[in-house]
Amino acid sequence: MVLLMNDQPSLDTAASAAPVTARTDFGFREVPVAEKKKLVRGVFDSVAGKYDIMNDLMSVGIHRLWKDTLIAQLRPRAGEHLLDVAGGTGDIAFRFLNAAEKRGSQEGAPAHVTVCDINHAMLTVGRDRAIDRGILRGVEWVCGDAEQLPVPSGSVDCYTIAFGLRNVTDIDQALREARRVLRPGGRFMCLEFSRVALPILEKPYDFYSFEVLPRLGQWVAGDAESYRYLAESIRRFPPQDELVERMLASRLERARYRNLTGGVAAIHTGWRL
Amino acid sequence: MAETTRSIDPKLLEMLVCPLTKAQLRYDAAAQELISEEANLAYPIRDGIPIMLVDEARPLDRPAPAAT
Repeated sequence: MVLLMNDQPSLDTAASAAPVTARTDFGFREVPVAEKKKLVRGVFDSVAGKYDIMNDLMSVGIHRLWKDTLIAQLRPRAGEHLLDVAGGTGDIAFRFLNAAEKRGSQEGAPAHVTVCDINHAMLTVGRDRAIDRGILRGVEWVCGDAEQLPVPSGSVDCYTIAFGLRNVTDIDQALREARRVLRPGGRFMCLEFSRVALPILEKPYDFYSFEVLPRLGQWVAGDAESYRYLAESIRRFPPQDELVERMLASRLERARYRNLTGGVAAIHTGWRL
Repeated sequence: MAETTRSIDPKLLEMLVCPLTKAQLRYDAAAQELISEEANLAYPIRDGIPIMLVDEARPLDRPAPAAT
């Protein structure tokens, strides 16, 4: 992994070439807006193969329960079209298809998912997993940017983004794009790490994020920096109420959230009405 | 090369638009590209996965990279 957190030469060059460039966060660093996308893709190129194992370690397996909760709340039905953004490895897509099938299909088309991720490596991991699980229909894989979706307006029944929104450079633009692609009556759901609401969890959570997690990343994926970025990016992400406000500003109506595991994660929902 | 000739699902094609103009795309099966005439861009299909990123698209007036 060549993601340097200090004195990164390429960043210096970019900054001096364009001194007035707008800056954004990349973990706790500030980087030019144009750089963040590249840096985030670097992180996920680096971790793609071990992303799911690392997620298990990162959340002590709890991310699986959170994703189950997301799908239970979504209640997928036959015939529905889900756009799952940043869902490269297929975790949400497979759960969605399973749940839709279990709820039984009436007449008509089965449910289907378009998985859209900015990272090609993550998508190939997901597609290989689909093949391993014998899932050959009902899911398509597309490389695309949450801020500039390659999807027609008003074309999907639901939009999900799980552990993806905090990696997007312009969150508000991603929210506007989400609304654009939803049909009227369609639902937006975001599962993301959030602000711990239980004070007793705060210290152990900090210790885990900044001390334990990068070491785990080093040990399992040979890559401490990427996991340090993940921990930092979580703290930079807007807290629950602020995200609700920004959803409303993007005209995702009836925006609300529910905390999971004391606010370590949260599910935000909103509707295009 | 088997990987580059993997065909893409026609249904997927219907569900995609140019991320820049949101206009429909034309599939060039031989070149394995999705063409956006309005944007003057060709989006590559790699390993069966369309790469719908503007900064990875080829301007139509620039020749395609030689096949390897």
